[in-house]
Amino acid sequence: MKLNQLLIVTFVGAQFAVAAFADDATNNSTEAAEIAALKQEIQKLDQKVSDLEGRSQVAQPATASSDAAQIQDLDQKVRILSREREIDQDAAATTAKTQPKITLGASGFGFSSADSNFVATIHGLIQVDSRTFSQDDHVQGNDSILLRRARPIITGTVFRDFDFNFTPEFGNGTPGAATTPSIYDAYLNYRYSPWFQVEAGKFKPPVGLEYLQSDTYTSFNERSLVTDLIPGRDLGFELHGDISGGVVSYAAGIFNGVGDGQKNTTSIGFQNNRGFDGRLFVQPFKATGIAALQNFGFGAGGSWDSSSITNTLGLPNTTGGSQPGFYTDGQQQFFAYSSGVVAARTHKRLSPQAYYYYGPLSLLGEYAISGQQVSKGAASVDLQNTAWEISGGWVLTGEDATFNGVTPRHNFDPRNGGWGALQVVARYAELNVDKAAFPVFADPTLSASGAQAWSLGLNWYLNKNIRVNASYSHTAFTGGAAANIIATSAPGSVSSHPEDVFFTRVQLSF
Amino acid sequence: MKTFLKILLASSLAISASAKEIKLLNVSYDPTRELYTEYNAAFAKYWKAKTGDDVTISQSHGGSGKQAQSVIAGLEADVVTLALSYDIDAISQQAKLLPADWQKRLPNNSTPYTSTIVFFVRKGNPRGIKDWDDLVKPGLKVVVPNPKTSGGARWAYLAAYAYALETYGHDDAKAKDFITKLYKNVPILDSGARGSTITFAQRGIGDVLLAWENEAHLALKEFGDDKFEIVTPSLSILAEPPVTVVDKNAKRHGTTEAATAYLNYLYSDEGQEIAAKNFYRPRNEAIAAKYAASFTQLKLVTVDREFGGWTKAQAAHFADGGTFDQIYQPQ
Repeated sequence: MKLNQLLIVTFVGAQFAVAAFADDATNNSTEAAEIAALKQEIQKLDQKVSDLEGRSQVAQPATASSDAAQIQDLDQKVRILSREREIDQDAAATTAKTQPKITLGASGFGFSSADSNFVATIHGLIQVDSRTFSQDDHVQGNDSILLRRARPIITGTVFRDFDFNFTPEFGNGTPGAATTPSIYDAYLNYRYSPWFQVEAGKFKPPVGLEYLQSDTYTSFNERSLVTDLIPGRDLGFELHGDISGGVVSYAAGIFNGVGDGQKNTTSIGFQNNRGFDGRLFVQPFKATGIAALQNFGFGAGGSWDSSSITNTLGLPNTTGGSQPGFYTDGQQQFFAYSSGVVAARTHKRLSPQAYYYYGPLSLLGEYAISGQQVSKGAASVDLQNTAWEISGGWVLTGEDATFNGVTPRHNFDPRNGGWGALQVVARYAELNVDKAAFPVFADPTLSASGAQAWSLGLNWYLNKNIRVNASYSHTAFTGGAAANIIATSAPGSVSSHPEDVFFTRVQLSF
Repeated sequence: MKTFLKILLASSLAISASAKEIKLLNVSYDPTRELYTEYNAAFAKYWKAKTGDDVTISQSHGGSGKQAQSVIAGLEADVVTLALSYDIDAISQQAKLLPADWQKRLPNNSTPYTSTIVFFVRKGNPRGIKDWDDLVKPGLKVVVPNPKTSGGARWAYLAAYAYALETYGHDDAKAKDFITKLYKNVPILDSGARGSTITFAQRGIGDVLLAWENEAHLALKEFGDDKFEIVTPSLSILAEPPVTVVDKNAKRHGTTEAATAYLNYLYSDEGQEIAAKNFYRPRNEAIAAKYAASFTQLKLVTVDREFGGWTKAQAAHFADGGTFDQIYQPQ
């Protein structure tokens, strides 16, 4: 406003000066009148300027106070919005604690309650195998592509401490035979603590080390000859646990009892007596800082059961009698008891075992002795059949080998240079039948008294879920059918020549 | 001598072997944290001296209604110390964890202390808030928790409603209109009293907080009386937060004796002193007189007299479709 005043005064002054210079000759009275008029104009203008200045000073505080109120109002709105967001986040976090969770990944498809007290997970195992036998024109129908295992596996937990497993088997194909679905695992496990658990139902008895390894993780398509002397899945109750984080693992149970290399396929018992199985396994360096020895473990499993002499409901899987036969890697029977042979009285087993894993190296060995009294008519004998194996592996791509398989560092993804993990494996195994079995209880012209098998294989782990195997197995026999005898059925057809079989497998597990 | 030492050792072992470890869970409403922190230490010391046993009390705090629902859903409370009897009645009726006549088991209807609702304002009281009438002025922002979840919020609502009833000659329609205007000024609802204190005092939202009296005093101590002050209205409600043992839980845990003693001790001189120091109005008259300066005298009305009891008040105002649902619209 002061500038405006200055301009007005300057303008008026200029006018005055111009007027002064313009006409020297103007009459004095006219000049005086004009000067007076101009003075009046100046005064009016000055008054107007003052009025304008006064109004603007009044307007400034009013604007400032409404601005402040607006700002405060906006500030409150922002704070309210921010606080609402905080409350919503707290509420969402509280709600999330009670919402069930759904997961889908390499470990299966699962859902659980918010507190994880209730969990259900669906896994699966599919194994598509091929077996190609060489130099066996005398045996028909054993070359095959088969669905070795096809299992939906349902596991879960209820009320935090009760685990369950239900696994039917739709595979387990046998060349030339129709596949009958069956229940492989169906059990409940109560977990009071890691060192005190009680299991009930149908599951693997705690005896053989290689047998206890999951079907998903075995080094070869088929387990070794040792498994011929180990009891398979059975119905029973077991107390088990891991002490000090697994430094000591124990298991002891009461079961129906199954024959060597057999599993209970009927889901009921077959005799009045019960069997007792137990195992103790120690990993003494597990909790130490000695990395090279942390995965060294050893122990022993065993069983005792008693069969009634008049047992006729056994678990037959042989050409005769109640005792099962023994099978090669190619799942061909090379030994069977003669017709009329029954299991009698006690059956005892002992299996010392050990494993060692360190980096890409894996070693596993076990020995099994199965002492079984058998009888045929009035004759009876106590037999001691033995078997042992040693297997090893090396992960060529450097990943760690474990009892629970190999996890590739880089999943198979050739576009991005990922090829999975590659492992080479080898195994040697023997099974020896007690010579006292021959000739009364087993026909020496048909059944071998011993088998020696070596195997070599390559396992390719594409990722956690998919694996491809290829292996070769050669089994030689002691005794058995003569080479020039053309037997049309096992065990004669098998024991007459060494078995050479090439395996492949494509496996999906999740 | 050897025999004497053996006896002494055996006795020591026997005594130490017989000393029990007792764990109690006290599920309480939102603003009682400081009270029970102090009280629990005092009770543990008392119980150890009396019985030789070690008692550890865990606390759970939250909006009273929410806490009651948690206990109904399975939270293993040995005792509940909630904001209003209605919430404990719900535990009795829905979960059958304690008898229906639980309130008769302890003195003063199982309420060892009382409280009320006051106004917590910014220092200098810039909005000139003196009474409930001021809370319905347009543009004023009132902070109060959600009465659906918070016991304190229900007390505050009923205090405001009671004021309106007293002011408008118990005309329910006018009281409803009053409460509608009040809640139009509520920009945000926390789930519990402590949340509302955070909203007002820490987040700087609102012009007035309708707070538990004890919560207001504690907030003054924590945030400073140079930032806030308490305004006592002309009328408020007598809030009677009750306590009780949750019988079935305590029996299952083997803690009935300790839980009962825990609540009884609230009525002891030490318990009443701790309550008063934490700005709860003690039932003990002598201790109340000792701490009289901490508590402003004001007209207090009761739920029973103004609303016919909690069951009627809950049904009329806070149940689904009740008055609160009718009048409150989130902003």
